Amino acid sequence: MDDRNNISPAMIRMWRVYRTVKEMCMDRGYEMLQEDTEIPLEVFNARFSKEDGEPDRTRMHFSCQPTEAMLAKYSDPPTAKIPHPVPQIGTIWVEFNSDENVGLKQLRDYMQHLVNGNFYSGIMICSKPMTGMALRLLRGSAGIEEGPKGGVEVFVEQDLLVNITKHELVPKHVLLSKEEKQQLLERYRLRETQLPRIQVTDPVAKYLGLRRGQVVKIIRKSETAGRYASYRWAI
Amino acid sequence: MAPKSILKKSTVSTNEPSASSPFTQRHRDTALHHANLIEQQKVVEKEVLQSIITLLDFPTSPDADPTRPAPSDALRFQDLIISFQTSDYDSLIEERNIADKCGYALCPRPKKKAPSSARKQFIETDKGVEIVDKKTLEVWCSEDCARRALYVKVQLSEEPAWMRRGGVGDKIELLVENAAEHHKALPLRLKQAPASKPVVEEEEEDIAGAWAARDDALADLALERGEKPGRLSKANRELLQTDIKERVQSTPPAPPEPPQSSGQSHMAIEGHVPRANKSNESDDEDGQDWDKHLPG
Ligand SMILES: [Zn+2]
Repeated sequence: MDDRNNISPAMIRMWRVYRTVKEMCMDRGYEMLQEDTEIPLEVFNARFSKEDGEPDRTRMHFSCQPTEAMLAKYSDPPTAKIPHPVPQIGTIWVEFNSDENVGLKQLRDYMQHLVNGNFYSGIMICSKPMTGMALRLLRGSAGIEEGPKGGVEVFVEQDLLVNITKHELVPKHVLLSKEEKQQLLERYRLRETQLPRIQVTDPVAKYLGLRRGQVVKIIRKSETAGRYASYRWAI
Repeated sequence: MAPKSILKKSTVSTNEPSASSPFTQRHRDTALHHANLIEQQKVVEKEVLQSIITLLDFPTSPDADPTRPAPSDALRFQDLIISFQTSDYDSLIEERNIADKCGYALCPRPKKKAPSSARKQFIETDKGVEIVDKKTLEVWCSEDCARRALYVKVQLSEEPAWMRRGGVGDKIELLVENAAEHHKALPLRLKQAPASKPVVEEEEEDIAGAWAARDDALADLALERGEKPGRLSKANRELLQTDIKERVQSTPPAPPEPPQSSGQSHMAIEGHVPRANKSNESDDEDGQDWDKHLPG
């Protein structure tokens, strides 16, 4: 039973994807138990496999809440006028789509579900890339009437088989809070446009869910200089 | 002797082009032109997306008949796709199929289901059994819808709307059985028609007559230009690929026919499955109709 040979390759694949998604949520700052990101294959198989041994994606969805630290990071610095600013982050809904083809229909249904369930944002994981028109809707979705406030992100399973941020050559990326960003710019007397840039479509930026205008600190290890940090402005 | 500088004497450095010189002006114009194009592209792309979303829920009535669409649906459809490229039209079909609907936007029926879930399907034709992709089988509900949908497609431009110098074309024509109703719904006709409707029957005849006359005129024009309706040649196929919108249509467009045999399988468009069940008819009619509307 707990022999790996009895578990279908599709199930093992899905298990990797699922763990990466859980790690991603934790790394972004959502409430997540370490053990949740380390679910053993046997447990995963018992919970999410269908009778024929294939993964049942329709049962894998979950939601998570931002931690206090994350809420603070996504809030404007408090001012005299607004001592308790509203954080620009909230509950996220993560869903694994099982349809063979994902187009406008599924994406719009998903957006509607997020709005109805009062979710702040959502992540949909598809087994194949969406249609061109669905991607077009997605590109314009942040901030438009149709979707949730925090937008929708879409990943393809293939891209989540391994957690890229765990690769030794990928330096650590840390999101700066709005306050930290302000301090950085003031300290170096910079405008944000003067910073080097990172595309929001960059794989690490996607992993962290970076939004345009945010700044990440990138920490590299160097043989000569020990650790050194650089900053990038997300566009 | 001092070594001679290998650098060119900088004679121009003192009189750099001023902001108003034709050189920088031209650059500015070019930059502006490109910025405008990008802006227009964004607008058109958003419009097309909205149109496709609207057409996903077409037709408006669940028991609509694609051969006799409601004039309001037909008009809206024609309106919405006027700025479509052929690839946008393909996207519309793809999105409707994903929603399990027949690819033709005026048809309320579900798309055909392949007999089995195998990726390759065996289809019986007059030529024997053919192997077809499952996906291509599941695009339309029927041959008839395929014909009507492709009739629309051949009228669309390959060129994006924001690049069309002649602007977007006039009108996309539909293949309908209730043409009289639709002609009455044409805005052009409405302008001329009096608002009072006591002589409906007579008026209808009138309209039908006018349209027939128009068709005749167009046919004459085509003849005058030495256009001979011929079979689908390679050259004509290439013509199809290019922008057909910017030219004057010489005859009313005619419906494309499904290809007849495996010998014509290169004619398969949009995954429409070749089905040879018309071998008894003389086949030059089909070939004619197919490219009649193209300028020779
Ligand atoms: Zn149909």
